[in-house]
Amino acid sequence: MGPLIPNGILTGNWDFVIALLLGIAFGFVLEASGFSSSRNLAGVFYGYNFVVLRVFFTAVIVAMVGLLYFDYFGWLEMDKIFILPTYLTPMITGSVIMGFGFIIGGFCPGTSYTAIAIGKLDALVFTGGLFLGIFLFSEAFPLFQDFYYSGDMGSPTITDMLGISAQWIAFAFVVIALAAFWITWVIEKRVRKNITPYKF
Amino acid sequence: MNKNYIILTALMIVLAGGLLIVPERQKYQQIDPDELLWEIIQPTRYVSTDKVAQLIIEGDPSLELVDVRPAADYEKFSLPKSINIPLDSLLQESYQDYLGIDGMKVLFFSNDDIKADQAWVLAKRLGYDNIYVMKGGLNCWIRTVIQPKKPSTDSPSTEFALYDFRKGAQMYFTGAKTETSGKSSNKKAVKIQRKKKKTAASGGC
Repeated sequence: MGPLIPNGILTGNWDFVIALLLGIAFGFVLEASGFSSSRNLAGVFYGYNFVVLRVFFTAVIVAMVGLLYFDYFGWLEMDKIFILPTYLTPMITGSVIMGFGFIIGGFCPGTSYTAIAIGKLDALVFTGGLFLGIFLFSEAFPLFQDFYYSGDMGSPTITDMLGISAQWIAFAFVVIALAAFWITWVIEKRVRKNITPYKF
Repeated sequence: MNKNYIILTALMIVLAGGLLIVPERQKYQQIDPDELLWEIIQPTRYVSTDKVAQLIIEGDPSLELVDVRPAADYEKFSLPKSINIPLDSLLQESYQDYLGIDGMKVLFFSNDDIKADQAWVLAKRLGYDNIYVMKGGLNCWIRTVIQPKKPSTDSPSTEFALYDFRKGAQMYFTGAKTETSGKSSNKKAVKIQRKKKKTAASGGC
């Protein structure tokens, strides 16, 4: 059946509608997870709050296992899913810059918008810088262009690279994630004396 | 620790463990059944023997004739410039290079339609396009191109034109002596009666 647009069940014109709905849901979850507070976000670097790690790891393992079940039931053709191409060196460089921006500014791009939505002034300044950065990068793009497209590896997956089946990788990720949840919980308890578990 | 955490952890492990147990789904990349049925009923996938003869005579470079009969039959007789891919070897890797060449029209033929049709379906399911079947196969080829029958005298002129073409093709393929219907050359000049032009004076009203 899926993916819906490549298989012609929906036309490409639905892109924006789906993007809008997913964007609303994503923003809601970010805000509900406490991602609009830069203290929560930066906490992962200082070891007093690992909510970022837990939320994203949860998203990864749920999506991973879910996709594999969807594939198994024939609801989704994994071969037709778009995989972002890998440009190794530019991506490593970009993620280092992103990491610095994250810890200095206290937000990543998505979370800065959820913080604006709840009226945070620091997020407003952050997005101002974000737009300035995008503008400068776009204007100076010809300078970076060669580097930007260097080291093209196509779209390799961990399964392709290691030759291990996707099921085993998903299982390993689940185990690693659950272990990470437990370890970070122990660390948090040591760093913060007055911690209470989340209620849901 | 919160009971909910333990339940969710257990659930996640069970789900992930389940992935390891469920058998791997066999995936065959092939044409959608609806699409295949639609393609099968299209008459355009058949090419008449006359058309094939014409294409061979014209030396169409995009035509690839594939004889799907056994090699022994191919040795005895086949169409000129055809290649032999026996039906039971069609799926072999070494023969796959002959199919799916950009810009080439692959035409399957056998003694009749049946084997060629089977080859067509196999090739279609392998995902190849631009594939056709010679209608009637070599039996029809012999009947129409190699041993064309003279149409009866009261046949329409198109029949005679076709007969002439077939005799020409017969000559081309077998080297037989020329002997056309002779009808086409004896065509009476048709007098075309034109509508008389109205003169200006005889204009209406």
